[in-house]
Amino acid sequence: MFSEDGNSEVLEREPRFDDITCSLRSVSKLPRGVFPETRQVIADARRFNDEVVRPRALELDRMKHEDPDYLPWDLVEEANRRGFYSMFIPKLFGGHGMNMPALSYMLEEIGSGCSAISNLVGVHYLGIATLCGSWNTRLMNKIMRDVAAGEKSGKPCLVSLAITEPGAGTDTEELELISRAKVTCHAEKVPGGYRVNGRKIFISNGHLSTWHITIAYSDLDNPAETTVMMAIKTDMDGFSFGRQEHKMGQKGCPASELIFEDCFVPDELVCFDAEQAARYARPMAKITMQVLDYVLSASRAGVGAFGTGVARGAYEEALRFARETEVEGKLLINHEWAQCVLAEMYKNVALARLSYIETNYANGMYGLFKVLNYKPIFYFMKYLPQSLVDAFLEPLVDLDFVTWLFRKIYFDWQKDAEYERTSGWASLSKFSATDAGERNSELALELMGGAGVRTDQVAEKHLRDSKLLQIYEGTNQLNRLNLFKCMIGRSAPEAKVFED
Amino acid sequence: MKCGMDPELAMFEQTVLDFASKELLDSRQENDRFPFGPLFTDVLAKARAVGFFSVTMPEELDGSEMGTTELCLLLESLSRVDASLAGVVFTDTLAKEIVYRARGFLRLKELTGKVSELGGSLFAFPSQSDPADCVGITAEPAAEGSYVLSGKADYVVLGGIADSAVLPVRTGDGFSFFTVDLAGAGIGIGEPVQSLGLHACPAVDITLDGASGLLVGDEGQGAEHLRRVEGRMNAACAAMSLGVMKGSFEEAVAYAKERQQGGREIVNWSEVRRMLARMAVKMKAADMIVAELCRSAEGNEPGWEMGSRVAALFAGEASVELTRDGIQVLGGNGYMEDYGQEKRFRDAGQIRSLMGLAPIRELKLMESYLAGEPLY
Ligand SMILES: Cc1cc2nc3c(=O)[nH]c(=O)nc-3n(C[C@H](O)[C@H](O)[C@H](O)COP(=O)(O)OP(=O)(O)OC[C@H]3O[C@@H](n4cnc5c(N)ncnc54)[C@H](O)[C@@H]3O)c2cc1C
Repeated sequence: MFSEDGNSEVLEREPRFDDITCSLRSVSKLPRGVFPETRQVIADARRFNDEVVRPRALELDRMKHEDPDYLPWDLVEEANRRGFYSMFIPKLFGGHGMNMPALSYMLEEIGSGCSAISNLVGVHYLGIATLCGSWNTRLMNKIMRDVAAGEKSGKPCLVSLAITEPGAGTDTEELELISRAKVTCHAEKVPGGYRVNGRKIFISNGHLSTWHITIAYSDLDNPAETTVMMAIKTDMDGFSFGRQEHKMGQKGCPASELIFEDCFVPDELVCFDAEQAARYARPMAKITMQVLDYVLSASRAGVGAFGTGVARGAYEEALRFARETEVEGKLLINHEWAQCVLAEMYKNVALARLSYIETNYANGMYGLFKVLNYKPIFYFMKYLPQSLVDAFLEPLVDLDFVTWLFRKIYFDWQKDAEYERTSGWASLSKFSATDAGERNSELALELMGGAGVRTDQVAEKHLRDSKLLQIYEGTNQLNRLNLFKCMIGRSAPEAKVFED
Repeated sequence: MKCGMDPELAMFEQTVLDFASKELLDSRQENDRFPFGPLFTDVLAKARAVGFFSVTMPEELDGSEMGTTELCLLLESLSRVDASLAGVVFTDTLAKEIVYRARGFLRLKELTGKVSELGGSLFAFPSQSDPADCVGITAEPAAEGSYVLSGKADYVVLGGIADSAVLPVRTGDGFSFFTVDLAGAGIGIGEPVQSLGLHACPAVDITLDGASGLLVGDEGQGAEHLRRVEGRMNAACAAMSLGVMKGSFEEAVAYAKERQQGGREIVNWSEVRRMLARMAVKMKAADMIVAELCRSAEGNEPGWEMGSRVAALFAGEASVELTRDGIQVLGGNGYMEDYGQEKRFRDAGQIRSLMGLAPIRELKLMESYLAGEPLY
């Protein structure tokens, strides 16, 4: 009755079995230790919310409104004191080694109080993830240990990611587009390194970060094949900060202009370039996109978590209001229509959350976290004392061989279908959850009427904050197109993307 | 609104647009910084001088005697450039209309003799979910028509800069409107309330401690007084939403024709073009609705007030959706104060809340229909 004959063929049809069962297949492979860790992370985030985020969110928004150049160092120091900046850095690189997917839960929690403060934590991991995507283990070790040292010394060491340029935003997120982009950030090869000239804009946490993982191009007419990823430190000659943007929302998290004027970057700070890529199977342009996809698949789940957080924050404010406000002689919460609005908002939060969770399962199997989630490695790293890690394992990461090995695993052994799956899910989560965040903020205002537009009622801040999420980490249009490319277009050979 | 517009109205529209471009455009971002920057008092003075206050009041009350069409054109054109001044005109008009339609100015004149100054004065009005839900103030009768008011009025728009305010107060089973002199004894004006949009049309919370209030119209008849002005003010509100939509649409199209990504102007990516098209549909639909509404209002056609409620609801919702996409077309730049789009999105949300809780207004619309008021 139950025959396995022909199963593979029918299961390969769209929607493919492997695409729709990421969680199902992951669960048995996941180390059990992930559960108590995640529990701990959520509890820490909730305490941070109670003690810092909720009491400070409106004040921070107001201060930044009053003084657009204000930098929230005190909050960054507080997050640093609580270990948030190295919490998800593997122990091998000096961090606390919490499992990476738990970061998304943390971002949702903090985002429900204030997505700007959530960004102050989350965007740092965007920089870290990009560094990790290059799998330059020596440089990963150097920078992540700087972060860990910053935690010990009380001087936060944050990492930012700088890709966007004045003339190229969407274009820098997609291989097909970058070859047509008007990029201007030039990394000229000179003896011993690169000389960088140009500007990056909108860089989150720029002014607060010590390291900037920067993407530039050695041939501006051929950026797709000449991408150079570098680690640039704030105090390097030729590097300076430009203006801080004056944004509608997420005011607490600065968006900075970075300026490079004959900034010399030595070879040892080059995370990845065409020369390094030459040792691997895929052509440079493909590997560049693969690296970007590793990063974006993780970071878009994170933005999905921001979206979920703001959707939840808006829902919570609307619920509070409905419970305490009388409309037409009875509490708003007792109007049937309001109950349906609240149910809709609850649904938006729950589905948004499921989308980033599923994306993280995909990432755990095929993406950035796959090695760390492997049970023997997970437990080995968890229970090996840090002193032994530092004494015996750390020296290994400086070896070229280790970089080569990781790149072999991550670059050469990853199948196209695998990165399409993670990238597709990540885009789905990114635009679904951020649309949910914006939608819930609008619904909260609709439910609260005149009271909703007052800043002290918080919902309007969620609305202002939420809009950004539909723009960065690839606009929601770009993410829809990427989902099409990864999950739909692949089975429609006649489909061409970005050819319109 | 272009539909069926006569040349005189076209000229009027152009005059307002010229005023807005000259007085509002360049300082829009700076003016929007209030309360963290100065209030645009020079602009308010000019608006007063050209007769933007008391716009719908008759001449004997120093007004410009505008009908619904002119009022809508004025507010739409101002909002196309910067909706804050339109918010000021709207609030002043709403407050004065309530008093006027309740024949309150006659009583005001009897009691204070102040009516001759009306044209230049500015009136404040609280924007809240529903005046019927006002519970913060109590009124004790004192002399003829005069009451002693105590309590708190939330979110009184223009309360910090106006001469007088019109406040709803619960009396008996219903509520009544009172005018109060904001410079009078017993009035405490709070700090400007930070809010989503219309920053240069600021609101404050006001405390009343035995302040003197003059009853507007008849006691307990607040709902009826409000009903008399709702048609016109719904139209005004829809016109503001429409103006904001036009501004957002125009900036989005201009930007999309210039900005290049993927080797071409983004207007040539069909997804961007479709986003613009959806904006065009909402904007044009609102434009036609407001035009038709003005036409039916001027003719006092039966049912035009129902139409005005529909117009405000439709334009309010559409403007939030449209301006959200108006930001999106500009990408990261759309999120920045240097461009007009983020402000328009915030202003659209604020304007949408002006006439009260949208879902309740929807329910009331249905209630009226079910009670026999014609909808079409
Ligand atoms: C507050 C903030 C923080 C940010 N933080 C960072 C950061 O830390 N690091 C970083 O590198 N960048 C950052 N960004 C930049 C962000 O990633 C870009 O804004 C985003 O990629 C969009 O690019 P753009 O702003 O140039 O818009 P554009 O690319 O100019 O897009 C404009 C519009 O055109 C559409 N569009 C463009 N091309 C196409 C196409 N081919 N098909 C269909 N539609 C298209 C877009 O969807 C959008 O609607 C940040 C941006 C903001 C606003």
